[in-house]
Amino acid sequence: MLYSTRSKLLASFLGVTLLVGAVSLFIGVHLIDQNVFGEGLKRVQQDLSAAHEMYLTRIKHVKTSLSITTLGFAFISSTKEHNTADLVVRLERLARLTDIDFAGIVTEEGRTLCRLGAYSFPGPASRGMNPVAKIVLEKRVAVSGTMVLDRDTLINENPELAERARIPLSPRPEGGSDPASEESAGMVIVAAVPIFDGDTIVGVLYGGILLNRSEGFVDMVRDIVFQGETFEGRSVGSCTIFLNDVRIATNVYTREGHRALGTRVSPEVKAYVLDQGNLWADRAHVVSDWFITAYRPIEDIFGKRIGMLYVGVLEEKFARVRAQALNMFILITLAGMVLAAAAGVYIARRITLPIQRLIQASKQVSEGSLNPELGPPANSEIGVLQKAFGEMVAAMGRRRAASEARIIQSEKQASVGRLAAGVAHEINNPLTGVLTYTHMLLRRKDIAPDMRSDLEVIVEATERVRKIVKGLLDFSRQTKLDPEPTDVNRLVAAAISLVENQALVKGVAIKFHPGENLPEVTLDRSQMQGVLINLVINALDATEPGGHIRLFTAASLSGNGVAHKGIEITVADTGCGIPPENLNKLFDPFFTTKAVGQGTGLGLSVSLGIVQRHGGHMRVQSEEGKGSRFFIWLPAERKTEHESTGG
Amino acid sequence: MKVLVVDDEAILLKSCRLVLEAEGCDVIAAASVDEALAVLERQVPDLLLIDVKMPVHNGMYLMRQVKQRQPDIPIIVMSGYVTSETIQEAEELGAATFLPKPFTPDELADTIKSVLANVKRKSEGGES
Repeated sequence: MLYSTRSKLLASFLGVTLLVGAVSLFIGVHLIDQNVFGEGLKRVQQDLSAAHEMYLTRIKHVKTSLSITTLGFAFISSTKEHNTADLVVRLERLARLTDIDFAGIVTEEGRTLCRLGAYSFPGPASRGMNPVAKIVLEKRVAVSGTMVLDRDTLINENPELAERARIPLSPRPEGGSDPASEESAGMVIVAAVPIFDGDTIVGVLYGGILLNRSEGFVDMVRDIVFQGETFEGRSVGSCTIFLNDVRIATNVYTREGHRALGTRVSPEVKAYVLDQGNLWADRAHVVSDWFITAYRPIEDIFGKRIGMLYVGVLEEKFARVRAQALNMFILITLAGMVLAAAAGVYIARRITLPIQRLIQASKQVSEGSLNPELGPPANSEIGVLQKAFGEMVAAMGRRRAASEARIIQSEKQASVGRLAAGVAHEINNPLTGVLTYTHMLLRRKDIAPDMRSDLEVIVEATERVRKIVKGLLDFSRQTKLDPEPTDVNRLVAAAISLVENQALVKGVAIKFHPGENLPEVTLDRSQMQGVLINLVINALDATEPGGHIRLFTAASLSGNGVAHKGIEITVADTGCGIPPENLNKLFDPFFTTKAVGQGTGLGLSVSLGIVQRHGGHMRVQSEEGKGSRFFIWLPAERKTEHESTGG
Repeated sequence: MKVLVVDDEAILLKSCRLVLEAEGCDVIAAASVDEALAVLERQVPDLLLIDVKMPVHNGMYLMRQVKQRQPDIPIIVMSGYVTSETIQEAEELGAATFLPKPFTPDELADTIKSVLANVKRKSEGGES
């Protein structure tokens, strides 16, 4: 019982701690997951924007280089004069200064004057015009952007370029049939600028960069945007350019350590980005690792979606961060739980310790101690309990003292009673002799008057002895109670009627105030009547003529220890009262304040004995000069009869 | 009028004799139950005055014996220690009355007179 309370407290503490811990872990993990992943997504979207910006800059750079070239007078006049030898030199210089892969000059009629590379000087009939130059001739403004050039166009520009553009295709991840086994078209960043002589277009300069297999751009993105950050030997960031769904320039690596050229994006991304033109940002499995990825479509000069730009961050890096955060969080939570549990143990002990002390104290009390060790007072409800317990023990002590006093009183009575019985019995025989002989002597006529008066003194003295002995016998005579259900009001009234005459003679009024709804009591009517008469006669003796005696009855709980239903009978007089120093001795046998010969000092003692044997008790209140009140309390249901030792 | 007084106390026997003889009774004194029984073998008294507490056999024992042999003799029981139990027992055994000690000569004489008057009234009533 004892331990179960404590373990219940502990279990509750631990239960709550575990529950809170589990909930906070659950929420914490979820939050960390979201935050870390969300942060990754945000970052990768920003990275994609940066990469896209760099891509656009790249296009602008090509256009600008070409524009500057067309401004030179020598270049314009060489174009006008179709001085191909000079123009080729200029193109080669341009290629050296920039990183363009192909370039050419077209006349305003649409004939290609010269190019970079192997077919620098194409014959008039062969080698078609680059399509971007055609746009400029038609629109007569500079254009730039991304384009897809077919294999023939690439071969026209430079067979080496066409060769570089070829990328063998990996099988589609969904395993669908794909007739082509390689990508042969080239994706290019391209610009074309009209060459003006005054307001007249004399030709078009075009040039561009082949993106297939190019490493420059994607690695630059990786190095600038991700600053070359690595994780376990791998680059954290990666960048890819797709032609349609095929990786044509990338620094995503296969498991074998090759750039994953020719591999394809997942069908979901393809559908979402390439087909629907949306931005993608989510985790995705890229070639061999999980990445947090972002894709955006790349459109060509005509606004058609021809590919995608991708950046991704190795998810493992975030996973590591997440794991670290999680570990820290779990550690803190666990530490909190341990702390809470320790606090729980401590609090449980603090709560249960005073309770254990109280249990110990109640054991001590049950073993008879009235001064149990309660320990320091607790400043909680337990403290209230401790206080109540202490008060209870103190009350028990007072009750015990009271009942001990009662026991002493009744033992005193019993021993006096036994003594009285023996003495009375022995005295009565010689007393009979004395009485007989003195009375017989008094009957004689021949005795002298002074002798007669002496004899009368003897008779008087003997009568006193007889009275005392009778009183002693009454006191010791503790006959069995003969209890029967009694109407107390009638009993009191009957007792009053027996002493009314005496009161009338003395000029003292007796008034009875019967209580209503009294519980029925069971008592020995004649003995209790004796008690009442004794009290009324005592009151009568104490009251001067003109005074009055009042009797009350009332339903009353016992004021002595445990509340018990009963009746209280009060006998109040307006007599001389009792000095305080006599109040304690009032019920002692042979205590009397009456003149010698007037009382035996046994009346109250005998009365108390009778009341006690009814399970009741008597008490007195008195004020000197004002009067006294005697209270008899009798229980409603009679308790076990206090049968006494005497008899 | 013959009265048998039974008491182990000599002073009481003497007192009773003094009073009863003054009243004109013949008094036979017995100091014990056995003595009383011996007297009763020879004589039939008109009245018995018996103390309760005596050594060897007590007054109650004597009463039972007397009631068996001569149930008509009235018996006065006297005692120095009166309890309701002794009174009750005496009444059950057929005592005429109970006389608590100590008593004065007048009390003794009145008691005897009233008992005898009762007996007389009863016997007259019985005869009529």
